[in-house]
Amino acid sequence: MTSAAKPADIEHVTAPTRDSPAHRSTAAATSVLVLPGVLWLAVFFLVPIGIMAVISLGSVDPTGHITLANPGLGNYGHALDPDFIPALLRSIYYATATTVFSLGIGYPVAYWISRYGGRHKVLLLILVMLPFWTSYLIRTYAWLVILGDNGVLNGTLLDAGVIDEPIPILNTDVSVIIGMTYGFLPYAILPLFVSIDRLDFSMVQAARDLYASGRGAFLHVTLPLTMPGIVAAALLTFIPALGDFVTPSVLGGAQTTTIAKLVQNIFAAGRDWPYGSAFGFLLMGVTLVGTLVALRSLRREVIGASA
Amino acid sequence: MTERNLPGMSFNEALEDKLAQANWSRREFLGRVAAFGAAAALTQLLIACGQAGGSPSAAAPSTAPTPAGSTTAEATLPAEPTAVPKPEDKLFVYNWDSYIGEDTVAKFQEKYNIEVTYDNFPDEATQIGKLQSDGKGGGYDVSYPASTWVPSFIQDGLVQKIDHSLIPNLKNLNAAWQDPDYDPGNAYSIPNFWWTTGYAWDPKDVPGELTSWAELWDPSRKNKMSMLDDLRECFAAGAFRLGLSPNTTDLGELDQILALLEEQKPLLRFYTATDQITDMVNQVVEMAHCWSGDWVQMTYDKPRFKYVIPSEGSIKGNDVMIITAGAEHPIAAHLWIDFNLDPEISAASTNYIGYMGPNDAALPLIDDYIKTDPRLNPPQEILNELIELKYLAPADLAQYTDRWNKLQA
Repeated sequence: MTSAAKPADIEHVTAPTRDSPAHRSTAAATSVLVLPGVLWLAVFFLVPIGIMAVISLGSVDPTGHITLANPGLGNYGHALDPDFIPALLRSIYYATATTVFSLGIGYPVAYWISRYGGRHKVLLLILVMLPFWTSYLIRTYAWLVILGDNGVLNGTLLDAGVIDEPIPILNTDVSVIIGMTYGFLPYAILPLFVSIDRLDFSMVQAARDLYASGRGAFLHVTLPLTMPGIVAAALLTFIPALGDFVTPSVLGGAQTTTIAKLVQNIFAAGRDWPYGSAFGFLLMGVTLVGTLVALRSLRREVIGASA
Repeated sequence: MTERNLPGMSFNEALEDKLAQANWSRREFLGRVAAFGAAAALTQLLIACGQAGGSPSAAAPSTAPTPAGSTTAEATLPAEPTAVPKPEDKLFVYNWDSYIGEDTVAKFQEKYNIEVTYDNFPDEATQIGKLQSDGKGGGYDVSYPASTWVPSFIQDGLVQKIDHSLIPNLKNLNAAWQDPDYDPGNAYSIPNFWWTTGYAWDPKDVPGELTSWAELWDPSRKNKMSMLDDLRECFAAGAFRLGLSPNTTDLGELDQILALLEEQKPLLRFYTATDQITDMVNQVVEMAHCWSGDWVQMTYDKPRFKYVIPSEGSIKGNDVMIITAGAEHPIAAHLWIDFNLDPEISAASTNYIGYMGPNDAALPLIDDYIKTDPRLNPPQEILNELIELKYLAPADLAQYTDRWNKLQA
C-alpha cells in the first residue's frame, strides 16, 4: 500500500488510506472508545465466567467449602441426569411460547408505530419503555392481583356471567407464559421497530406496482427485509426467557419448575457451588449452541431471500 | 383482639385499598417484594461476586476458625465491661419476613439513634447462602438462623463471640435456655423464638378435626394445597408418614420419601416459604404445610382457621440471634440483641407474629391465647415427642438436594 500510494499523492487528500495519519488517529480513537466496554466485559463477564469454570471442576469438602483437590468433570456428568430433562423441556417450552407471542404482538405494534406513529413516534417508543421505570419484580407481583382466583380477571369474568366459578390461571403454564410475554415484549418491540423503520417503503410500493397483493408484498418484501430485526428480537426474548427465574417463581406453581430454579436449588438449598456452576455452564452451552444454529440457518435464509 | 393483632389496620389506607382486591396488607406486599428481591439478587450475586468467599482460603478468616470469635470480640470490644462502648450509627439485620414486632425496628432506631437496615429473605437456603457467601456474614451484622446451624457457624468462624456484659437482658431467659446443647453457655448465639411444624386448614372447606400428615396427600384437595418450599421440611413430612427419622441419611429411605413426595406433587398448587399466609387468607389454597406462627398470623384475618401438629410426629425448632464475624457494627449488634430481649419488646413481637421464645420476663405480657395454646407454647410432654432437624454434612445434603430437584423437575 505504501508503494502504491506513492505515485498518487492526491489520494491522500481525497480519502485517507490505512497508513495515513488521519486513519491512524481514527483507529486510536476507536480503541480508546472501545476500551471501557472491553474492560467492563473482561472484569464483570469474563473473570466471573472463568472463576465459575474453575469452580465447576471442583467439589465440596466435608466442611462445606469448595475444594479443587480432585478436579474432574464429575459435576457435568451429574448435571446430565435424564431426570432433569422435564424441567429443561419446560423451560424451552416457556421460552419458545414467550418468543412467539412477543413477536406476534410486537411486530404489529412496531409496524404501527413506525408507519403511523408520525410525530408521536418518540413518545410511543417511550411508552413502550415506560414499564422499565418500575422494578420488574413489582410488575410481576401486580400480575398476581390480575390473575389470582379472586383477582381482576376472574372477577370481571364472574361479574359478566361468563364463568360460574373462578378458573385457576395463576400457578399454571398460562400465568407463567403471560408474565414472561409481558416482561419480554419491550425487548422484542425495540429491534423490530428499528428494522421496520429502516425499511425503504418504496420497495413495498414497487412490489404493489408490479401487481403484488398486499399480503404478497408483506410476505415477499417487508418480512424478508425486516428479518434481521425479527432475528434480533427473537434472540433478545428467547435467551433471557430460557434462564428466567423470577417469573416462574412468582407466577408459577408446583408443576412449573424451570431449569433456572433447579440451578438456584443447587446453589441455595444444596450449597453445592461446583455442581451449580457446572449445571449453569451446561445450560449456557445449550443456549449458545442453539443460538448459533438458529442464527446460521436464519442468516442463510435472510441472505437467500434478499439476494 | 387488640389493634396490633390486625396487621395493616394502622397503615396507609390508600395502599390498602389498592391491594384490597388481593386481600394483602401493605406489610405483606412489601415483605413479599423485599423477600423476593433478596432471592433474585442472591442468584446473581452467587454467580457474579461471591466465589472468593467459597474458596477454602478465603472462607477461613485471617484468624483461625475456633478462636476467631473470641479474638474478634476482644478486638472490637474493650476488655472493661463497666462502661458501654459508644455504638456505631448503623446496623444491618437479616431476618425472615413477618418475624418481628410491628414497630420493633422503629423503636430501636428511636431509642439508640442507630439507622437500621432491615432485610428479609424468602427461605432458609437463601439466608444461609448469603451469610456464607463471603465466609463472614455477607455484610450483615445480625441474623436469625435456626439453632441447628450454630455449631457449623462456630466451626467456620462465621459468627463472633457475644459479649454477655453488653446484654443485661440475658437474665430474662429461662434457666433451661442458658446452656443449650448447640451452643454451651450461649457463647455465640442468643435464643430467639421457637416453633413447631404442621399444617393449617380452612374448616369451611375441610370439616373435621384432622390429625394426620396423610391429609396433605388427599387427592380430593388437588390444586388446593401447598407445601413449604423447604427441602428439609418436605422430606421430614414424608419421613413422618413412613415412620422414618426426618434426619435420615439412608439412601433407600430417602428414595422411599421421594416416591411419596412425587405422589403428592401433582396435587399441590405450589411450594412456598413466603406466601403460605396470604394464600390461605385469600383462599387460594384450603390447606397449607406451615409453621405454627404462620397459622397465628392467618387467624388475624380468618379466626376460623385450624392448625395441627400431626400425630405421626413433627418438627420443633428454635432460632437464635447471632453476630457475624464480619460485623462492622458489633456494639450496635449487641444493643440490638439486648433490645430484643427486653420483656416489652419481646412480648410485642410475640403478640404480633405468634411465635414465642424462652423469655420468662416477657411471659406476663404475652397474650393468653398464645401462651395457653400447646401448639404455640408446647408443654414438655409434647416437646419430647417433637424432633429437631439436624445439620447435614455436605455429602448427605447433596443426596437430599438431588432428590428435591428430581421431585421439582
